[in-house]
Amino acid sequence: MTAAVLAEAAKLPAFVRRDIKVALSYRVAFASDVLGLAAQVVVFSFIAKLVEPSKLPTFGGTQVTYLEFVATGIVLNLALGVLLYRVAGAIRQEQLQGTLESLLATPTATATVQIGSVASTLLMVPLRATLMMGAIALVFGLHFDTGGIVPATLIVAALVPFAWGLGLATGAAIVTFRRGTGLLGAGTTLLGLASGAVFPLALLPAWIAAAAEWNPLAIAIDGVREALLGGAGWSEALSDIAILIPLSGLTLALGVGLFKLALDRERRLGTLGMY
Amino acid sequence: MSGPEPTAVEVRGLVRRYGAREALAGVDLTARAGEVHALLGPNGAGKTTLLRVLTGLVDPTEGSVRVLGACERGRAARGRVGLVPAGDRSFYLRISGTENLVFFARLNGLRRRAAFARAAEVLEDVGLTDVAGRPIGGWSHGMQKRLCVARALLTAPPVLLVDEATHDLDPEGAERIRALIAGLAERGTAVLWATQRVDEIRGFASAVTFLDRGTVRFAGSVEGLMAQAASRRYVIRVRNGHPGALAAEQLAGLLGARASVLPGAGADGEHFRLEPYEGVPLGTAIAALADGGIDVLACRQERSEIEEAFLALTGEKA
Repeated sequence: MTAAVLAEAAKLPAFVRRDIKVALSYRVAFASDVLGLAAQVVVFSFIAKLVEPSKLPTFGGTQVTYLEFVATGIVLNLALGVLLYRVAGAIRQEQLQGTLESLLATPTATATVQIGSVASTLLMVPLRATLMMGAIALVFGLHFDTGGIVPATLIVAALVPFAWGLGLATGAAIVTFRRGTGLLGAGTTLLGLASGAVFPLALLPAWIAAAAEWNPLAIAIDGVREALLGGAGWSEALSDIAILIPLSGLTLALGVGLFKLALDRERRLGTLGMY
Repeated sequence: MSGPEPTAVEVRGLVRRYGAREALAGVDLTARAGEVHALLGPNGAGKTTLLRVLTGLVDPTEGSVRVLGACERGRAARGRVGLVPAGDRSFYLRISGTENLVFFARLNGLRRRAAFARAAEVLEDVGLTDVAGRPIGGWSHGMQKRLCVARALLTAPPVLLVDEATHDLDPEGAERIRALIAGLAERGTAVLWATQRVDEIRGFASAVTFLDRGTVRFAGSVEGLMAQAASRRYVIRVRNGHPGALAAEQLAGLLGARASVLPGAGADGEHFRLEPYEGVPLGTAIAALADGGIDVLACRQERSEIEEAFLALTGEKA
């Protein structure tokens, strides 16, 4: 059993290598991602001039600027979006480019194909979020507590299984119905809206604000802000992580179950390779 | 004296339905190690569905499938079967041939170094070493097809399933693929070769299963299939030593009750379609023309026996 799991795990670096090779062949697309984020930050830097800091919540007793407030939100929101789209679309993309049947014709577990298809994204997203935050802080002279970097990274890591599970659930819908990116877009927007990424949750109607307390993205964004802007340290971060882990675990389990059901159904119907 | 080669693939009563449509309607098939077994049939016959079931990509609705004696499906079974799919989009076009093969080799359980070594070997086997480092998006269709064969050879599988490998290749490319596959069969691989190109199985396949609309119409040797040919039609080129075109009526008069004759396509007065009547040897008909002063310059079958058999078995008019 252990040997079989290890043998499957040994295949994962092959997926990462493949994806890095493919990503490097799209240099312009990679650069445009970075430019897209930079453009968002520039827009928000102008909006920040209109926002009175006293309207914003304080973190660890520190009054933050709007740009400091929003930078954490948009970077995390973007990270979640990339993760969701990649996880949800990974199998569909294999289906569309005609490689899914070739993958599934090898003696590789479906779970390995699924994990492998997003392995590079799972590795890159937290790293990319950290690098982007650092770049924004440097360019705009924002004040982040360097002691909060590790706790903030762990909070992001605890959010990853949530995004992964959500992406798998959406991926199950996409594999079944051959469409679903619209659903994904709407879901991402709703999650972002109720996350406090670009404005404080207190501005939302009370019942949405109350529900948002349980939105893992909102918990993560607030936790990262507390760590990086308020210098809250480990105790706050650990309590956020303690809430995020079961929520993420449940979402991941649900996503894995739904995705397996979807693939089993396709195999039974004989429509796995069809697009 | 050695007995027959062991059975590699055994299919019994295989049914696969897609909703109300029956893609396979109780198919039986036995393929042995060391033979190229042609799976012949027109479009929509169920060839690809059968190969997909054998690969484990599609579950059967009813019936049993045994590969190398084992009836379990899943990962272990997939490791024993190599697949050359029909489509030409089964690779990552942005990366090189080597990188593609290394990726699939690793999914087949080879370690990194072994994967690179094996990829180099099979690329050599299919004659793609020179271009192996280039992204395959720029490769010709024939080269991509050879890469498909190379991928199927990565683990030297005892059973190889090949789906329409040559249907859009030029004659040289097709011959190269067939030679490669024939070599594997000689070394003991059981090859199931799905095709609708009837003439390519002559001299290549040793057994044939003819599928039509999900049903086996014929199973046996290629010679046995050829014996199913429903009619004998020939195209002859004639000359009578006089200027002017020969009329079909003139030839019909000489042939009498031996054969029917019709003008060939283009009605050029030189080419005719000749069909000897039941029990009349071709030579007798030709001799009757020669006795009437007609030189028969050339004579060839209008269609091969395999093609005739194909049409007869699918119920199409020759």
